[in-house]
Amino acid sequence: MLALCASTLALPQDWPSRPVHLVVPYAPGGPVDLSARLIAPKLQQALGQPVVVENKPGAGGNIGADFVAKSSPDGHTLVMGAIATHAINPALYPKLAYDPVRDFRHIALLVQVPNVLVVNNELPARSVAELVALAKRQPGKLDFASGSTGSTGHLAGELFKQITGTELVHVPYKGSAPAVADLLAGRVHLMFDNLASAAPNIQAGKLRALAVTTVRRSSFLPELPTLDESGLKGFEMTTWWGLMAPAKTPQPVVDRISQEALRAIESPDLRERWRAMGSELPGARTPAEFTAFVERERKLYAELVKRSGATVD
Amino acid sequence: MKVKSPKDFWAGLMFMGFGLFFTVWAVIYYQMGTAVRMGPAYFPTVLGGMLAVLGLIVFFGSFAVEGPPVPEFSYRPLILISLGCVLYGYLMKPLGLVGATAALVYVSALGGHEFKWKEVTVLYLILVFFSWAVFVKGLTLPFPVWPEFMGY
Amino acid sequence: MEIFHNLYIGFVVAVHPVNVMYCFIGVILGTLIGVLPGIGPVATIAMLLPITFNLNPVAALIMLAGIYYGAQYGGSTTAILVNIPGESSSVVTCLDGYQMARQGRAGPALAIAALGSFFAGCVATLIIAVAAPPLAEVALKFGPAEYFSLMVFGLVAATVLAHGSLIKAIAMVLLGLLLGLVGTDVNSGVLRFTFGVPELSDGIGFVIVAMGMFGTAEIIANLELKDQREIFTSKVTHLYPTKQDLKDSWAAVLRGTALGSMLGILPGGGALLASFGAYTLEKKVSKHPERFGKGAIEGVAGPESANNAGAQTSFIPMLTLGIPSNAVMALMIGALMIQGIAPGPQVMNEKPELFWGLIASMWVGNLMLVVLNLPLIGMWVKLLTVPYRYLYPSILVFMAIGVFSLSNNAFDVLIMAVFGVLGYICVKLECEPAPMILGFILGPLMEENLRRAMLLSRGDPFVFVSPNKPISLAFLVASTILLVIVAMPAIRKKREEVFVEEG
Repeated sequence: MLALCASTLALPQDWPSRPVHLVVPYAPGGPVDLSARLIAPKLQQALGQPVVVENKPGAGGNIGADFVAKSSPDGHTLVMGAIATHAINPALYPKLAYDPVRDFRHIALLVQVPNVLVVNNELPARSVAELVALAKRQPGKLDFASGSTGSTGHLAGELFKQITGTELVHVPYKGSAPAVADLLAGRVHLMFDNLASAAPNIQAGKLRALAVTTVRRSSFLPELPTLDESGLKGFEMTTWWGLMAPAKTPQPVVDRISQEALRAIESPDLRERWRAMGSELPGARTPAEFTAFVERERKLYAELVKRSGATVD
Repeated sequence: MKVKSPKDFWAGLMFMGFGLFFTVWAVIYYQMGTAVRMGPAYFPTVLGGMLAVLGLIVFFGSFAVEGPPVPEFSYRPLILISLGCVLYGYLMKPLGLVGATAALVYVSALGGHEFKWKEVTVLYLILVFFSWAVFVKGLTLPFPVWPEFMGY
Repeated sequence: MEIFHNLYIGFVVAVHPVNVMYCFIGVILGTLIGVLPGIGPVATIAMLLPITFNLNPVAALIMLAGIYYGAQYGGSTTAILVNIPGESSSVVTCLDGYQMARQGRAGPALAIAALGSFFAGCVATLIIAVAAPPLAEVALKFGPAEYFSLMVFGLVAATVLAHGSLIKAIAMVLLGLLLGLVGTDVNSGVLRFTFGVPELSDGIGFVIVAMGMFGTAEIIANLELKDQREIFTSKVTHLYPTKQDLKDSWAAVLRGTALGSMLGILPGGGALLASFGAYTLEKKVSKHPERFGKGAIEGVAGPESANNAGAQTSFIPMLTLGIPSNAVMALMIGALMIQGIAPGPQVMNEKPELFWGLIASMWVGNLMLVVLNLPLIGMWVKLLTVPYRYLYPSILVFMAIGVFSLSNNAFDVLIMAVFGVLGYICVKLECEPAPMILGFILGPLMEENLRRAMLLSRGDPFVFVSPNKPISLAFLVASTILLVIVAMPAIRKKREEVFVEEG
């Protein structure tokens, strides 16, 4: 009886006994990768072993996520699971090799960034209401750009269409940069872009921002209304990612990492950097909350993807 | 009909093969769409078709115009070099940098003209050390250095 | 004379000892990874990003930029010495540079590459200083229709790359186009030709294909020589270019610089197209085009200047609009954002010391690179005299490590081996890899832009030649003209052949 308690409550004696690999399922340099590289040294300090970032990009993040799902659950392999890998792709890819809820322990939600609805300056719409009216007057004429089929930008647009009953044409790009370029030039009319990347253009007056996609206003651009306020009740979409590990990773390990990770993002310098990314402090504070969050997101996107008809096969 | 240009004969066949493969696969598995709203199959089908046609032209041309014979294939370097590379990739995780480099160096050396154990081993040691110094230590690439059973 | 004032600010920043030091570190590191096949500036910069958090933004940016254009210098070194393009834009340098090395002229090739790159770098830096905002506006004018027409032009130009049979060259271009389509189709999201292999869903990596078709295939081909003649004539003629070499090259350098500066601005493949375009241009204006592919120095001078000029001007969209032209720029934006600076239209005005300091340091960096690289030529040439049986396993190890490090995935190395086999077959059958590589790069871009242009125009095919898209129209017209120019001699030759047969 005592032994059972001891084994469930105590950290494995020698963990971590060797470098911890933090797998980033995306190419270096993107926001997920950057945040991983920011938090790794903090974790390293706290845990006493090197924390090495390993990029395993491909297939929208599936390769990296799958790799960790099937890794040894000894607490030395972690992954930055994201909305793409754990909520959207399961709906988009018919034969995904892993289950986002069952194959992982969800340790700590680290980043939640809103998307922002931006339009080209020449567009005669200065508010969400005007945009909706414009779209209804010209069904099928307005184009909305996104960074790829099945991205949050795309699905945000689909949700928008659904709730407002408008007909917008989706124009996918390879990454949000070319999409923004065409938006600036007026070749497409609107876009749901990541807040941090859109902010410079908004602040310089090159693009007009109409609303954010979260229910709460962003502290980064507080003057922007939310879509919820603007008549699209209940519209809540964030781009998120956080630390995860293979399913059978021991509970004490999960708890310890969760503790250290949350402590890290509350440290002043990371706080500052997170703000620069447009991220508020994340909503889920414990592993259990995170798991519940992932489940909710998965259901939400399963529905949304199905209705949008987006598919990968 | 005698084949006058063997290189073109085989090149033509190769092109036809690739062209047909892409066209047929695309037509079967992906949607065509229309010329104004092209689907994923459109481009590959058209291009594959064009490639197959060009392959046909080259193929028939090989009966008409003189050309040099195909030089002999040297299978030993071909197979060993390729094998060496493949082994490197797949042995990296189980055997670490040390093992993967060994496989590549020894196997590819076998593909050359002479193979002296001592020489190759010295080369191997130099290369492994250099790889470790520059890539693992210098560029902090996350390669496992030692085989798995020896711990990280 | 605001420009002088700005340049003054810039130079004051650039010659600050700390910044000079970071510039130096950057260019050395850049050269090193440019030389190492596979490892590119993207991976390196990503790994160094955490270090930049503790530096001030100017120093960080200077160092990262140094890595980027330093890699261009290094990439040409491997291209010339061992036929492996260290960077994607060095592929073209392999064509004639490697042949020059085999003829004992590696020294002049490397020297011209360095000098041409330096000149191009200086000119491009000047262009950025003088004309960044207006050029950025030009870049914005390129929409899908314009990109498509540009790609068509590039593809027609690809056929010029070939020095053998025109039909086989076109077939290789088509093959490249098709292989480039493997992966996720942007416009529909559908996975094409991936056979359920997840590693193929983002397509086959360009670096992998280039290394396989150029590098591995070359090694296998070299190993065939039964009598083990030394691959590189140990009789090295000169270490430095002769007067004749310089005379032949200077015009190519000028043309390459101009072309590269223009094309580098275009987000997405601009700098890459520049080196291919420069090669094609040189071959077309040359009085002796048959020398190309056999060691023509213009074939090194032009493309090298073009790719360096393109590398510099590709900073423009990032610095003025906050739009990255390629993955490296995206990383730099990331680095700046982490520092709390949002790259965009305001940076030029709000932080002039950052903008101008970076520009001035580019000049400093180019100077350092040329000073670094020229003396190294002796060392590189010495390296070639190492017996091939030691050289080639080393090359293979570096290639394999480089490719593996791209995604930490063994599959990539497998693909490299596969393309090595394909490249070997192509060598045997006299099918040239260069047009295929160009098709491989341009194919997906062309299709993506074609379909997007049609989507935006709601199915109107005349959008490409419409009067309010003059750029697109111009490129298509130019393509047609070029096609005729290219086809004419080939048709004439075929008619002669037929006549000879009959007569």
